Amino acid sequence: MSTTIPIERLTSRRKTRQRRRSGPIGAILLFTVPFALMFLAFYVAPIIYAMVQSTFAQKSSGLGLGALQEVFVFFDNYVRALSTPSFIASLGRLFLFCIIEVPLMVITATILALLLEAGKAVWPRAFRVIFFMPYGVPGVIATLLWGFLYVPSTSPVLQGLAAIGIDITPLQPNSVLFAIANISLWVYAGYNMIILTAALNSIPSELYEAAKIDGAGEWKTIFLIKLPLIRPSIVLVTLFTIIGTLQLFVEPLVLSPLTTAISSDFTPNMAAYNQAFAQGNSNLAAAMAVIVAILAFIMSFGFLRIVNKKGSEAW
Amino acid sequence: MKRIFPAITTMAIVALALSGCSSGAGGSASASAGSDDGGVTELTFQSWVPNVDKAVDLFNASHPNIHVTLETITAGPDGGYATMFSAVKAGNAADVAQVGYDWLPDFVRNDAVEDITQYVSGEIDKFVDWQVSAMTFNDAIYGIPQASSPLGLYYRSDVFKKAGITKAPETWDEFYADAKLIRKLGKDNYIAAFAYNQTPWLIGLSEQAGAKWFTAGSDSWTVSINDDATMKVADYWQKLIDEDLVKVEADMSNEWYKDIQNGNVASWISGSWGDAIIRGNAPKTSGNWSVSYMPQWTAGESATGTWGGGSANVVLKGTKHAAEASEFALWLNSNAESVSTLVSIGAGWPAIEDTSAITSLTNDPDVFSFYNDQNIWKVFAESDANVQNDWRWPPLVSTLYSTLIDNVKSSIDNSTGLSNAFDETQTGMIDALTQAGVATTTN
Amino acid sequence: MSREHERERNVDIGRIGVTLALLFAAFYFLLPILWVLFASTKSPGDLFATGGLWFSDEPQFIYNLQRLFSESNGIFGAWVLNSLLYSGVGALVATVLSVACGYGIARYRFFGKEAFFGAILGGVLVPATVIALPLYFLLNTVNLTGTYWSVLLPSMVSPFGVYLARIHSGAIPEEVIEAARLDGAGEVRIFSTIATRMMVPAIVTIFLFQFVTIWNNYLLPLVMLNDTSKFPITLGLTLWNSQTQRDPYFYTLVVVGSAVSAFVLIGIMVSLQRFWKAGMTAGATKG
Repeated sequence: MSTTIPIERLTSRRKTRQRRRSGPIGAILLFTVPFALMFLAFYVAPIIYAMVQSTFAQKSSGLGLGALQEVFVFFDNYVRALSTPSFIASLGRLFLFCIIEVPLMVITATILALLLEAGKAVWPRAFRVIFFMPYGVPGVIATLLWGFLYVPSTSPVLQGLAAIGIDITPLQPNSVLFAIANISLWVYAGYNMIILTAALNSIPSELYEAAKIDGAGEWKTIFLIKLPLIRPSIVLVTLFTIIGTLQLFVEPLVLSPLTTAISSDFTPNMAAYNQAFAQGNSNLAAAMAVIVAILAFIMSFGFLRIVNKKGSEAW
Repeated sequence: MKRIFPAITTMAIVALALSGCSSGAGGSASASAGSDDGGVTELTFQSWVPNVDKAVDLFNASHPNIHVTLETITAGPDGGYATMFSAVKAGNAADVAQVGYDWLPDFVRNDAVEDITQYVSGEIDKFVDWQVSAMTFNDAIYGIPQASSPLGLYYRSDVFKKAGITKAPETWDEFYADAKLIRKLGKDNYIAAFAYNQTPWLIGLSEQAGAKWFTAGSDSWTVSINDDATMKVADYWQKLIDEDLVKVEADMSNEWYKDIQNGNVASWISGSWGDAIIRGNAPKTSGNWSVSYMPQWTAGESATGTWGGGSANVVLKGTKHAAEASEFALWLNSNAESVSTLVSIGAGWPAIEDTSAITSLTNDPDVFSFYNDQNIWKVFAESDANVQNDWRWPPLVSTLYSTLIDNVKSSIDNSTGLSNAFDETQTGMIDALTQAGVATTTN
Repeated sequence: MSREHERERNVDIGRIGVTLALLFAAFYFLLPILWVLFASTKSPGDLFATGGLWFSDEPQFIYNLQRLFSESNGIFGAWVLNSLLYSGVGALVATVLSVACGYGIARYRFFGKEAFFGAILGGVLVPATVIALPLYFLLNTVNLTGTYWSVLLPSMVSPFGVYLARIHSGAIPEEVIEAARLDGAGEVRIFSTIATRMMVPAIVTIFLFQFVTIWNNYLLPLVMLNDTSKFPITLGLTLWNSQTQRDPYFYTLVVVGSAVSAFVLIGIMVSLQRFWKAGMTAGATKG
């Protein structure tokens, strides 16, 4: 198996190949500088700008109908964000959503990949295309479509279920997170499935032969050979899903007019968007966004730490 | 693998070709600098009103010295306002823009609009009083009213008749009694939807009951979102919700459109523009609709409210052509031909005082036949005339909107009562204003 | 019954079970797409009045399509072209930049390399909401807001692309490179002829990933663009969606527009699927 775990490079430098030579300066600059400049201009600079912005506030006085003044307020915006109960609640909600969405996504994608790869399916190509198609539908549009399917009076599915006595109302407060998770699942499961099928296909067939000779059945092969061997890809898919869920934004934003269960600050990103675009408080918005970014760092690196520690002997 | 290169190359060529065509045409985005070639002043006008280009074309045809380019933008609350604020801050804003009455205080507060008093004071009397007051801050005029949204009651006369109701409800007590009768028609039949998603609707109902949420003092705002009038409205609708007499449902949503078509929701309190929505979505219900004046709290009165006030045209800060921009805004909204066009494209109720020249308001067979040959505009004309001119929109109106919606939603989910939602909004709004440095007092 | 027979029967049951499961999944993934197909044949009135998974009595798909492409002087066509422009050019440049950078990081040692790479990886995690507004003010200082460039330039940066490119460049056998060096090939030549050829699957993956990311982007064009003629599809359809409150026909336009835009992108993805998949193979497993 020629797999070095790609993710590993995120956290450890153990295996960096030291034999690479220190190359000619000209080539190094030519390869890296164009990207570095663009990255500075379109990622680093705006982030620094946002951080600076998050330490200011716009103040008016009296009736608030005179011109605004910009005041330096240190960490006031951060304190304000973190002392707003609804913002804290949105962080908790996001965490809950992560717990629902990540296993749902990873397990679904893995099952689909295993089913397709089992070699028992008729028309595997057609199925692969069908599962993958939703990835081409932008989140805004996917949510508009599911919005129709979530409302009993316009949804053929819910009407069908109601006809056989099952009443489901997906946009109720206690099910709305699942309704949103379903949309993300629909869009990204096929994409993740492709990553995993690709990994499964690259398992050398000798391993299966050997397993067969040892008398291992289907299930045994899955749990003892396939899953352990595609572990790096599963880790990658999990990481993508975590990063994606932390930025949850478009789906609840588009669904929010359809339900009482989604407030304007349902997720931290929505709260930041609401502050910046509806309420014109880009300073507070910047502070909220920085908090989300920091959380994303902590959770992604935390996840990698855990899998690296637990799994190091397996690799 | 060899087939990838053609694929990518083709894409690249298409893309480059496109960028080639477009970069020539679209170099600079905003033309607020304006060129004065041959004495023609170039203006840009940002609006999201569909088909408003027809009125703009009329202006261009009759004004050889000014040329207005329309930029259709995202609706204000959906991001259009945010873009305007950024553009003003960045110094490349359009010259004239569409702004709701409710948002104007925030534009003044952000110093994003020009004081146009000197250009328009001579003709501002053409417009209805309460709308001019909505444009006026510290005795200066900051916009030209375009169209207002006086409320009326659209109702399904066939459904009402089926329930044994012979005339439209004139008071809220009658509305309540009618709600019970209609509810008896079937398990899906309701007199109306409780639109938890519509702050303008909730505010319009409160305004009608006599609420004055914001009063400008000399140096501070008096905030009373939970005043007695509002609480009366809250308790009334809470009663309807508790007794399952109204359907808790977002208006202008998929579900609501369907309910409007099949009569499950039998009435709608809305502005004059609501006509286009009903006719467009439920063409098969033609002849089944009527419009009446809003139900009253006290029989015999004619109190009314608006849906978010109305919509104005303002001159954005930083324009080099404030005089021409003001001329355009004034002409667009007071010239009879232009106003007729605005009415026909559904911009709203005209803001000018004298609407006698607007023929489509007295003779509009397409519209009237849908309402069983009723001249529905009479209702809105009367409603508009009765709007009180002391309702005030505060700064941070979007905070008001999102706080109110969030609180109403949560009061429904947690059954804590609508009155509680207004109490919470009062606290939340005062907090937000204080944070922003705006002085407030309460009663 | 012989053992052989029994095994064959088991295989059959397995085959049927797998196929049923896949059919069920296919129904799930097709459902919204079927819905939008049927919905795009309906008038605004029928959209809500008739069953979702069948035609109405008066299908009017052609009429809807004509309205879609003629509304506001055919602006929808411009949106499709704009989306292709932003995604195509943005992804193309992003791919070139990130592959070169990833290759440079993987094949050479230089001062601050790991810190540089760490910063790039951090970029993957930054939410779009953090960047969009500040970027507006920064781009405005050079008078770019409102132009095609304001959306194109930020789309040309793909930190994730650098990450993938580094992994794949690392997988190129050292011997191949050394052999080329002995033949007297310069570093740039080695990269542009030998390395890129070996990395084709990764390059396609990076390109398509960035293409879809830009295609789906909503916030950046929303902040940057005023002029509707420069909008991409996502923003244009949202604009129409906000106009349904004035003219219900826009509801149908949004639905038909969604169907068309989904099929344009699905068409692109599916036609490139074999390369896409090949890229994934290498993308996830080769270290």
